[in-house]
This record gives sequence, structure tokens and C-alpha cells, in this order.
Amino acid sequence: MVAAVLHNSPEIPVADGRRIPGNKGIWVGITCEIVEFVVLFTVYFVARAHFPDAFHEGAQRLSVISGTVITLLMVTSSYFIACSVNAIRLDRHRAAVAWLVAGLVIALGYPLAKFLEISWNLAHGIDGSSGIFFTVYYYLTFNHLVHATWGILGILWVLARLLFHGYSAGDYTGLEALASYWHATDIIWLIIFPLFYVLA
Amino acid sequence: MESKIDRFRVLTAAWLGLVALTLVGLGLGEWFREARWLPLLVAAIIWLKGALVARHFIESHLAHPFIARLLQGFIAIAPTALVLTAFFGDTLARWATL
Repeated sequence: MVAAVLHNSPEIPVADGRRIPGNKGIWVGITCEIVEFVVLFTVYFVARAHFPDAFHEGAQRLSVISGTVITLLMVTSSYFIACSVNAIRLDRHRAAVAWLVAGLVIALGYPLAKFLEISWNLAHGIDGSSGIFFTVYYYLTFNHLVHATWGILGILWVLARLLFHGYSAGDYTGLEALASYWHATDIIWLIIFPLFYVLA
Repeated sequence: MESKIDRFRVLTAAWLGLVALTLVGLGLGEWFREARWLPLLVAAIIWLKGALVARHFIESHLAHPFIARLLQGFIAIAPTALVLTAFFGDTLARWATL
């Protein structure tokens, strides 16, 4: 009984022909992630409405290069992982591995870029107590980094399974679930980036 | 089971679009820093980039209605809040004051 429940087909069709990308479990997680960030964005906008000058001036002190690099890393790793899903659907196992490895390497650039950004911030006297803008900036971006770290760990796990032929054109649920989570985390960064780095 | 269509070109076009929007957004943010309508433009770019990822990477248009609506809603929230904060910031601050 349990085995029958766990052995899902790679595509989970629903009544009107639409499907669940990956599996239901990952979408419970993604929904929770989205709810969490909706709350955090609410705090951002309430703070911005109360202190517009602090947000205007604060954004000018951040490293735009760091924010841009992280954005390009996120969209590129997302693209590589989408290509990995595309490859496994076409039964191109080696290409799927290569795309996922590329996605992992690019994704690992994010914590590195963030480390360099924080070092730059501290060298310029920017820390969590530098004002309301920076308090909101630190908790929102650190939260995103935590979510991205979970995604990187997920990429490692899925890559290990993929290397041992755990996924195929007939069953790639796990790979697609990981891809969905990473794309959702990408969307969140695409919202964070202009709010802190562009609206100066 | 969906047909086995190679989506490489579509994915690449979406990625190039995301990179272009990122760079264009940065340039516009720098050139029109003091423009009153800048938040409108930034909000539009946020929505467009989110929609690109949702449609072409997650394939939200083929997904369960709950997932499609969840993504549509989430992508719309920040741009809407940004426009409201930019043009009705004082009212929003008054409502959000304890």
C-alpha cells in the first residue's frame, strides 16, 4: 500500500489536463516559502512607507555590482537547471548531468558573492544597526540566502541521484521538484534585487 | 504524458530576456533616479521577470490551477505594493501605524 502511494508517475495529471510540476510535497514547501516572503515584503513596504528618505539614501550605499552579480547568477543557474529538466525529458542523461553540474557551480557563486558583499558592507561601515533600511535589507537578504542554501543542498542530492540514474525520461519527478523550488527562489530574488539595489 | 519537445531555444530566449531586463532595469534606475514614475517602471520589470520565470521555467500555464494562481498572485504582490507605496506612501504609513 505504502509502496503504491510512493511510486508516483513523473507527471501528476489533474482533472483538466494540467499537471503538478515535480510533486505535491515541494509545492507545499514553495507555498510556505511564498507566504513567508509575503510577510517579509509587507514589513519592507510598511517600513518604506514610514521612512522613504532612509530607503532612498540607503540603496545608494549598497554595492550595485554585488546585487547585479547575484541576480545574474540566480537567473543563469535557474536556466541551467531548467535545461537539465529539458534534457532528461528527452532522455539525454549525460546532458542532464552536465546542465545540473553547471547549475550547481553557478549557484555556488551566490553564497560566495554574498560573502564578498557582506565583507564590502562591513568595510564601509554598513551593518544591521546602520538604520531601518539596512535592518530590513539584512534580514530579507539573509533569509533568501538561507532558502538558496537549502536549494543548493537539494541540487547536490538530486545530482547524486541523477549520476546513479535515479531519474529518466519516464520518471524525473525529483529533478523537476528541485527545479521548481530553485525557480521560485529565483523569482523571490528578482523581487528583492530592484527593491534594494535599483530604487536608489 | 506530455510530448517530448526540445524546449532549449525557448529556455535560452527566456534567459536572455531575463539578463536583458536586469541590465535595462539597472540602466533606467541610474538614468532616471529622480523620476517620479521610476517605481512604475521598476514594478513593471519585476512583474515581467517573474512572469518569464513562472511561464517558461516552471511552465505555470500547464500547471495545476492552484499553482498557476499562487505564482500569478505572488508575482503581482510586490509590484502592486511598490506602486502603492510610491504614490500613496503617506496613506499607507497612516494605515500601518499602531
